[in-house]
Amino acid sequence: MDTALFTPKEAPLFNSNQQRNVKEAMEMQSINQPQNSHTSTSISSDSIELPSASGKWAPRLLLECARAISENDSGKIHLLLWRLNELASPYGDCDQKLASYFLQALFCKATDSGQRCYETLAAVAEKRHSFDSARKLILKFQEVSPWMTFGHVASNGAILEAFEGETKLHIIDISNTLCTQWPILLEALATRNDETPHLKLTVVDTASTVRSVVMNEVGQRMQKFARLMGVPFEFNVISGLYHLGELTKEGLGVQEDEAIAVNCIGALRKVEVEERGAIIRMFQSLRPRVVTVVEEEADFSSSRDDFVKCFEECLKFYTLYFEMLEESFFPTSNDRLTLERECSRNIVRVLACDDGNGTEGDSERRERGSQWSERLKEAFSPVGFTDDVMDDVKSLLKRYRAGWGLLLPQGDRESGIHLTWKEEPLVWASAWKP
Amino acid sequence: MEIQSCIYQLDLLRRESLITMPEKMAEEAYPNLIDENTIRSGSNPPAVKKKRNLPGTPDPEAEVIALSPKTLMATNRFLCEICGKGFQRDQNLQLHRRGHNLPWKLKQRTSKEPRKRVYVCPEKACVHHHPSRALGDLTGIKKHFCRKHGEKKWKCGKCSKRYAVQSDWKAHSKTCGTREYRCDCGTVFSRRDSFVTHRAFCDALAEETARMKAVSNMNTAVAGNINYHFMGTPLGHSNPQNVPSIFKPISSNEDTIINPTTRGLSLWIGHGSQGQETMINNNLQGIHQLGPLCSGATFADPLVSCSNISPSDYHQNWVFGNKLSSSNSEELTSTSLPLIDVKEAGTQLLSIPSLYETQHQSNQTPSANMSATALLQKAAQIGSTSTDPSFLGSFRLKCNDSRVQDGNKLGGPYGSNSILSNLGKDAEKTAGDLFQIHPAKRRHAEIEDGSGGETRDFLGVGTVQPICHPSSFNGWI
Repeated sequence: MDTALFTPKEAPLFNSNQQRNVKEAMEMQSINQPQNSHTSTSISSDSIELPSASGKWAPRLLLECARAISENDSGKIHLLLWRLNELASPYGDCDQKLASYFLQALFCKATDSGQRCYETLAAVAEKRHSFDSARKLILKFQEVSPWMTFGHVASNGAILEAFEGETKLHIIDISNTLCTQWPILLEALATRNDETPHLKLTVVDTASTVRSVVMNEVGQRMQKFARLMGVPFEFNVISGLYHLGELTKEGLGVQEDEAIAVNCIGALRKVEVEERGAIIRMFQSLRPRVVTVVEEEADFSSSRDDFVKCFEECLKFYTLYFEMLEESFFPTSNDRLTLERECSRNIVRVLACDDGNGTEGDSERRERGSQWSERLKEAFSPVGFTDDVMDDVKSLLKRYRAGWGLLLPQGDRESGIHLTWKEEPLVWASAWKP
Repeated sequence: MEIQSCIYQLDLLRRESLITMPEKMAEEAYPNLIDENTIRSGSNPPAVKKKRNLPGTPDPEAEVIALSPKTLMATNRFLCEICGKGFQRDQNLQLHRRGHNLPWKLKQRTSKEPRKRVYVCPEKACVHHHPSRALGDLTGIKKHFCRKHGEKKWKCGKCSKRYAVQSDWKAHSKTCGTREYRCDCGTVFSRRDSFVTHRAFCDALAEETARMKAVSNMNTAVAGNINYHFMGTPLGHSNPQNVPSIFKPISSNEDTIINPTTRGLSLWIGHGSQGQETMINNNLQGIHQLGPLCSGATFADPLVSCSNISPSDYHQNWVFGNKLSSSNSEELTSTSLPLIDVKEAGTQLLSIPSLYETQHQSNQTPSANMSATALLQKAAQIGSTSTDPSFLGSFRLKCNDSRVQDGNKLGGPYGSNSILSNLGKDAEKTAGDLFQIHPAKRRHAEIEDGSGGETRDFLGVGTVQPICHPSSFNGWI
């Protein structure tokens, strides 16, 4: 396949010509139809209309391309990639952004260069990371969107409930949240009715890039804050861990007389699909009072053998995510750009990398809440969130812009609550006990 | 505008304050304030005639009424027999009955001076259970009972705070979300959760705690002499003129007054949370123990003159003024300010709770990282983030956290804790020991300060005079 036409651009510098290009592309598309008679399928008549607003060209084109790749239709692939390249831009509107990042993944898939691309992206991101930038980004995100804080509030509520009356607490935090979940919990512990308990916090940082410097700084801040709150506090970071499956009871420093809580925020999806059962069993062996699981609601897992299906899921999820980001942040926000770039890595990882191939512990194969529930039910039973916690979550959502909602578990088989945006469930939060 | 409203509120608080003292002490300290015929039921209404009695200091002539919990919690006691509609007052019911063409009777106000009624709380453990602390207002006792002993049925939609009394809930809802939180670094937040999270990661925090630690290290290093710690450092900076400013209203320059001691303030102001309450309770219990021993001393500060009544609630009420009787414990915050100065004196007062706090702490299982410093910092933190709608709120929140210079001032009392905690831990030692320190302290203070002969009271909060400081605190007691 002729790849000379394209160079993987991480940040193509398109200008406002893009707007013109879109129009041109549309016209070209209709013109192109008769010329493509040599291919087995024509372009526009086949395309499935995604349930998005009319005029959204990106999903259509992207899906077309995905299909072409799965059918190995090189001519079509070629054409579509070229077209997308013309239209895409990480600095444009939602369509353009989606086009840009998914194009990258499609290209990598077509050229079998996903792994390399992913590693490059990860290296670039790591260079840019510092405590200050990470802190600023994450706090800003939490300020403008309840995406993360939803899970935090629900989990904290469940943890506090489970820890009622306990004096020696040990929270195992497997997440990439840089401990932003814990100040509120520390405050709650400090203002408990009874004596302030002792809290040990063991953090397993699941960020794709190694962030030990950042985590050190985070740890220091947490220590200071805990002292301020008057909460006896101990902080540990588990680093140098590639594989969540390597975690052990001893490695986590779990002691017999402690009340354990396992807090997984976006952590389970980092585990390779085949090993998810094992890690849940490992949690069980810790004998925790509560396990809180927060995950993003998307299924990249059951369809991992079907490229097009997986692509569809991916596109659907990230379209919502990007739209959410666009509406939450300022138009010219650099923070949003950074978050979007993070997504691009994940998208490449899911679509263009083989499982179990790259650095372990960075799978991004999400599963829906119902799927996680199935797994978790093998070792735990679901705990509903109390009314108080639900009220807290509701008040939380009120503090953000309109558009956010709460979805309660529907049937008996459902557990956990969903954060919805424009009626679409996007984040799932649940609590489990042995 | 703000200041004026503060003065007004201060005035209100003064008039409605809960400060009482046992007669004996009152006589000693304020011989000219006690009436001859106030000896009944152990209450001491002030000689200065007021239209109202201070809450909790009922008219000894009054009739004491004890209503049942059911009655107190009932909202609509008066029911129409025809349609079952409930009314809060009998008069309203009577008017309603007219509509049913039922015989009705509106009670006239009795022509002679009606016998004043006071109400006691049915809850035995409650301070208002005793007739000497009865409340004079029916609505008041009802609200008190609901707040203290009732179920919190009303919940704020925005922040999930709970209230037992509907009017409290309404009042809170009006201001909830309008409160602004300011971090040391200058950023202002409208949301409390963002503020707390930000604070934990803020660079300002890192600097601050570094300084606090440095200072307290410095002070503990000079160990051995309690007097020094008590009187030295804080007083070192101050002069007698500052001391009377305890009673000065917050009318003076906000910045200088409030900034240095918001921490100290905060401890007293506290947060409505239970934990904080307990801590304050414990602190005050400590004070209480010291009380009888100090009765002979000239206590300028009403805070120090203790009574012997045991229920911890009483102390809370006593120290924090009347607000407690008419408000949630959350509203604790509003009363403390008039009692404490926001300047150095405030920090000296800090030494009261910290002193006894460690004493109390010795009774608890001490945890490794728990120090009085931490507790106070916690208190400060909690206090500085409380959502108190009173006039205090605006002050506190504007200058939310202490500045650099606080470290030095606060170091004193903090430092002293470690010494005193040793004392406290020894079960044998009673407050008597502490009392014995007193004369030594005085002497030392005089030497230290060189102010020439002014006797300082135990806590170094001031001379005898300040109680009569002009402006708002006239007739305070």
